[in-house]
Amino acid sequence: MLAGTCLTLAALHLLVWCRQRTAWGSLLFSLSAAATAAMAGCELWMMRAGTTAEFGLALRWLHAPAWVLVLALVGFVRVHLRAGRPWLAWMVCGVRTLSLVLDFLFTPNLNYREITGLERVPFLGESVSVAVGPANPWMLVGQASLVLWVLFVVDATVVVWRRGEQRQAILVGFSIVFFVALGSAQAILALWGIVHAPVTASLFYMGIIASMGYDLSDDVLQAARLAKDLRASEERFRLAVEALPNATVMVDSRGAIVLVNAQAEAVFGYTRAELVGQSIERLVPERHRVLHPGNRQAYTAEPITRAMGVGRELCGRRKDGSEVPVEIGLNPIRLSDELFVLASIVDITERKRAEREGLRQRSELAHLSRVTMLGELSGSMAHELNQPLTAILSNAQAAQRFLAREPVDLDEVRDILADIVEQDNRAGEIIRRLRMLLRKGEVQQQPLALNELVREVLALIQSDLVNQGVTARTELAPALPSVNGDRVQLQQVLLNLVMNACDAMNGSGPAERQLVVRTELADGELVRVSVSDRGTGIAAQSLERVFEPFFTTKPQGLGLGLSVCRSIITAHGGKLWAMNNQERGATFCFHLPVHRGGRA
Amino acid sequence: MSDDFNSDASPTVFVVDDDAAVLKGLGRLLRAARFNVLTFGSPQEFLRRHDARAPGCLVLDLAMPGLGGLELQELLAAKGSALPIVFLSGCGDIPTSVQAMKRGAVDFLTKPVKDAELLEAVRLALEKDRSAREARVEMDGVRARLATLTPREREVLEHVVSGQLNKQIAGDLGTVEQTIEVHRARVMEKMKVQSLAELVRVFESARAAGL
Repeated sequence: MLAGTCLTLAALHLLVWCRQRTAWGSLLFSLSAAATAAMAGCELWMMRAGTTAEFGLALRWLHAPAWVLVLALVGFVRVHLRAGRPWLAWMVCGVRTLSLVLDFLFTPNLNYREITGLERVPFLGESVSVAVGPANPWMLVGQASLVLWVLFVVDATVVVWRRGEQRQAILVGFSIVFFVALGSAQAILALWGIVHAPVTASLFYMGIIASMGYDLSDDVLQAARLAKDLRASEERFRLAVEALPNATVMVDSRGAIVLVNAQAEAVFGYTRAELVGQSIERLVPERHRVLHPGNRQAYTAEPITRAMGVGRELCGRRKDGSEVPVEIGLNPIRLSDELFVLASIVDITERKRAEREGLRQRSELAHLSRVTMLGELSGSMAHELNQPLTAILSNAQAAQRFLAREPVDLDEVRDILADIVEQDNRAGEIIRRLRMLLRKGEVQQQPLALNELVREVLALIQSDLVNQGVTARTELAPALPSVNGDRVQLQQVLLNLVMNACDAMNGSGPAERQLVVRTELADGELVRVSVSDRGTGIAAQSLERVFEPFFTTKPQGLGLGLSVCRSIITAHGGKLWAMNNQERGATFCFHLPVHRGGRA
Repeated sequence: MSDDFNSDASPTVFVVDDDAAVLKGLGRLLRAARFNVLTFGSPQEFLRRHDARAPGCLVLDLAMPGLGGLELQELLAAKGSALPIVFLSGCGDIPTSVQAMKRGAVDFLTKPVKDAELLEAVRLALEKDRSAREARVEMDGVRARLATLTPREREVLEHVVSGQLNKQIAGDLGTVEQTIEVHRARVMEKMKVQSLAELVRVFESARAAGL
């Protein structure tokens, strides 16, 4: 029965070891249990032996499983308890092996010089055989190995105890010491013939197997608990991913999708069953599919938490083939030794739409402000248009007169016609510029020469300046790099600043009505434009407020001009501000980043 | 340059406009209408080159940078120039035109200006200049003739034009009627007038001119 239990345990742990080859503790335990079973078998054989020769043979063979048990237990202590002095371990094994060798050299065995007879003694209500004969003094070698064995285990137990693992020390170390000592003592006493009893060491060793088995089964239970925990934690992870507000896709190192949440299903239009196991490239638009695996590998080579494709507009591909603008955050997750990437995907369709809407509203407001401004300028514009018209009319009527004369001065008439054409172009140009400023179109980014823009704006407002008795001076930096921007909107800003400068000098004496438009390169990175007047300046507390919408000092002003100017300059990646001059008046400055790749 | 401008020269239309194309067109139109024309790109240039003695008129743009049309008008008036001015303006700004007319502008025209209007105004201005010059020439003659009178003759003249008879004058001046008659004949001769009525007219106009 004992042997059966031991064999069952041995088979069980052999199975554990087979499933998990690193569980050396299970293998050693299995060996110990099997050896104990074998020992029990041999002891039973001895008890039932009918002849002295049979008894001797059984006893000799008993040493084989005993050798296995000793070695396996030493190994178990080293592997499972991670304790025991190695030299002592080697010594136990060496001495035990020596005793096994001696056992097979001597006849009948290590324990007896010769077995003279068998004695029947009662044991547990049965009559069993016990050998009679002189003991073999070489038996001491085997018994020395047992003592060393006990010492080794005691030493290891102390170490385990000191390590703070008292439970294991008691359960394994102490029980081994206890049962080994007990079993060995019984065997020694029986074999030396001091007591007349059969050798039943295996009975005691069973105790060791039981406690070892208990300890190991604890490991198994713990493993089961861990597995349960792992499942729970996996479930928690899955639920957490599911609960994330963003579409989330987890991908393994080969790019296969392992996890998808409901948001991801909603964004891409696939069910998770359609995605899990598939390549992530399924969610990438065709035009990016060629490059994507390369980018993916570059990422897995250097996995950090970061946004994907910074500075690029990313798109995902839905099941129906349509594209969705997205932002993607990448998080590397290392599970045991495999790298996974958790991609958090934000559908930015709505944000893009809001951005477009914001841009449209800003552009409409800019247009409104421009129309208002041009309304203020209309008188001046009419005058501007009057000049070429006057020239054309005078020239045409002069020509009529020249033609009425005899002889006709054809050279003169030719000159006149050339001038008429030129002046017509001039009028056309004024109308074209006006129409452009009144245009309500898309913002068009292009490289612009700010010096040219300044000259254009001053030409546009020239007659207004004259009417107000304002002299405009320019200080334009030569070879100024161009900036990137919308021509109409930047003209609007300049026009607004120049008009404000004029208004600021309304109350100044004629000699003071001077404005300066300056362009310069600042820090090599920015083009700065400033418009200075010699007016009354701005109250210190209003230097920022002038840019607020509906802040105005003019009776008929809407107060939108400067706030729109600032939003235009900000949208161009620049800055617009106001300051008072040291002497008198104020200066409005703006700077814009230099357009990369080109000079004006 | 100033040698070109003498009082005997034929009248010239001076055109001042800061817009080169307009200046050229106006100049051409006026030349086509057979006027003598001189063009100036700015009031400053005109002031630099203009001789006040030259007969003619000024066609002046109202809105110019630096020195405007109205300022130039004022400046010329201060210098005693009687050059008639035709103003041209981009916009028919009423207060400005009133101001200009009050200061003696001949006309105030809005750009683009029709040839008939411009030429009529220029003709009017030249006529005004001519008559003013004639009046000035006449006044210069009167002044010269007055200067030839002796103080006694001058006294007699003043009494004559005030409507006194020779007898009364003689009484006032403490002399005899015959003497006054001689003086009176001499005055009539020196002043180159045929009748008492003519003498009174010349004297009154001279007095009006502050002589």
